Amino acid sequence: MAAIVTRALSKTYKVIGKAAVRSLRGLDLEIAENEVFGFVGRNGAGKTTTIKLLCGLIHPSSGGASLFGEDIRLREARRLVGYMPEQPYFYEYLTPRETLTFYGRLRGLSAAQRQAQWDRVAGLLELEDIADRRIRGFSKGMRQRVGFAVALVGDPPLLILDEPMSGLDPIGRRMIREAILRLRDEGKTIFFSSHVLSDVEELCDRIGMLVEGRLVHHGRVDELPGRRMKEVEVSAEGLDGAAAATLVARSAGHRQIDQVHLFRVADLENANALAAEILAAGGRIRELQPVRESLDDFFARIQQKEAAK
Amino acid sequence: MRVLAVAGNTFREAVRDKVLYVLLFFAIIVILGSRALGWISVGQDLKIVKDFCLASMSVFGALIAIFVGTSLLYKEIDKKTLYTIISQPMHRYEFVLGKYFGLVALLALALGSMSALSTAYIFVLGGKLNLVFFQAALLNFWKLLVVTALAVLLSALTSPILGAIIVFCCFVFGHATGVFLDLPPQFNGTFTKHFFEVIYYCVPNLDNFNLHSEAANDIPVSLAYTAWALAYGTAYSAVLLIMACLAFEGKDL
Repeated sequence: MAAIVTRALSKTYKVIGKAAVRSLRGLDLEIAENEVFGFVGRNGAGKTTTIKLLCGLIHPSSGGASLFGEDIRLREARRLVGYMPEQPYFYEYLTPRETLTFYGRLRGLSAAQRQAQWDRVAGLLELEDIADRRIRGFSKGMRQRVGFAVALVGDPPLLILDEPMSGLDPIGRRMIREAILRLRDEGKTIFFSSHVLSDVEELCDRIGMLVEGRLVHHGRVDELPGRRMKEVEVSAEGLDGAAAATLVARSAGHRQIDQVHLFRVADLENANALAAEILAAGGRIRELQPVRESLDDFFARIQQKEAAK
Repeated sequence: MRVLAVAGNTFREAVRDKVLYVLLFFAIIVILGSRALGWISVGQDLKIVKDFCLASMSVFGALIAIFVGTSLLYKEIDKKTLYTIISQPMHRYEFVLGKYFGLVALLALALGSMSALSTAYIFVLGGKLNLVFFQAALLNFWKLLVVTALAVLLSALTSPILGAIIVFCCFVFGHATGVFLDLPPQFNGTFTKHFFEVIYYCVPNLDNFNLHSEAANDIPVSLAYTAWALAYGTAYSAVLLIMACLAFEGKDL
């Protein structure tokens, strides 16, 4: 069964005296169980709106969605999801231990279950040191950890994380990244939005790209339709200095690591021509490696294309 | 369970926000105020003290109900603490009821403490208390249930400042609803007359809960009247809470 299914899911915000804002337009999406799905898009693209709809914080203007077959409007659907907002706000006068106890009670957990949850989550997110300090004095990173911990209360099979690594230092980001990978290995489905595309590329099985409330691309990161091959890197060895100098002049870029030359050319046609010249000059080909454009470049290009429409 | 969790948390928040400091002000005002009024009311000291204690309970309790109640839901939305709560497997009405009962628990503690302080003070002054004093204190508390329910409803609909102004007006006019019907004869049949009739039926008649004069003068009040007033307050609060739950149900957060 799919973890998340949305069908023509739309949201329009209407404020009296102001123009209606169409934040999400006909989103059709299916996310499989145990998949890590990254949701990317600029600010205002509709990522948070989608997440709020899935978590029951706002109501769809049209269309619908389900989580593991349960309609998102039902309470039962929310039992299956753990949600972490972009900037998690909690009661400042509570400690992380009290906060998790409170959310455990909201999920109907017994005292023993709450203690077991605390032991599991505190270990995963290193909360023991701050367990009994009031949240009021916490840094952004500490709050994010508590936010992530709250999403894990009740051990839901689906985690929806809104910018989980936003504003974190490298160590904090690594901790969240490792926690996501560990949870994926435990069989969780993870749906998260992020501006940090390198994280998305590293963590996700698939991504969806939103532009002005529309899903313009979705698929496996390495199979995104239209993602261009940026260049080809030809790795060679056994070239003398004069031959190498001639080939460097013909390539778009060059590096040398010990006796290995790395030439960059624009496409496969040029790569084949260069490889023939290397062989003719007495060199050996080690590898031909296509270099695809980065997710950042792809994202920027799609943005420009959609904006031009 | 979930209602209790939210209620417990609301109560703890108010206590940690030092809302109960109002009890200290209550004690100071009652002692100083009744002393001052005692000087100008020869031979009526105890009567004045009883009346003053009950009136102070009503005012201080209303201040808590209005200022905490009108920001109860609004603050949660504004500070976004609600996001992680409403996304839990709970009904929205459970959250509204939890907030309401948390504040009611706080008011019970505050009014219970004020009643205990008043009782001790009156005994220290050599007075004695009859059942009617405690009936008056109970109805004071019941009146605050209505005021709190109204505050919670407005908290779901509007900003705390506007909500506080509206609830304060209802609190003041609720003690004098008779004036809405007793317009001079020249208003008969006019729009103004009908308008004030509608207001009369909309604004809760808080004077139904006012036994201050009877308590001060030791005039017995039947238990049947007390039960009727309690039922009136319960029904009014229930209607306001249902409206608050409905208003909150459809709200985009």
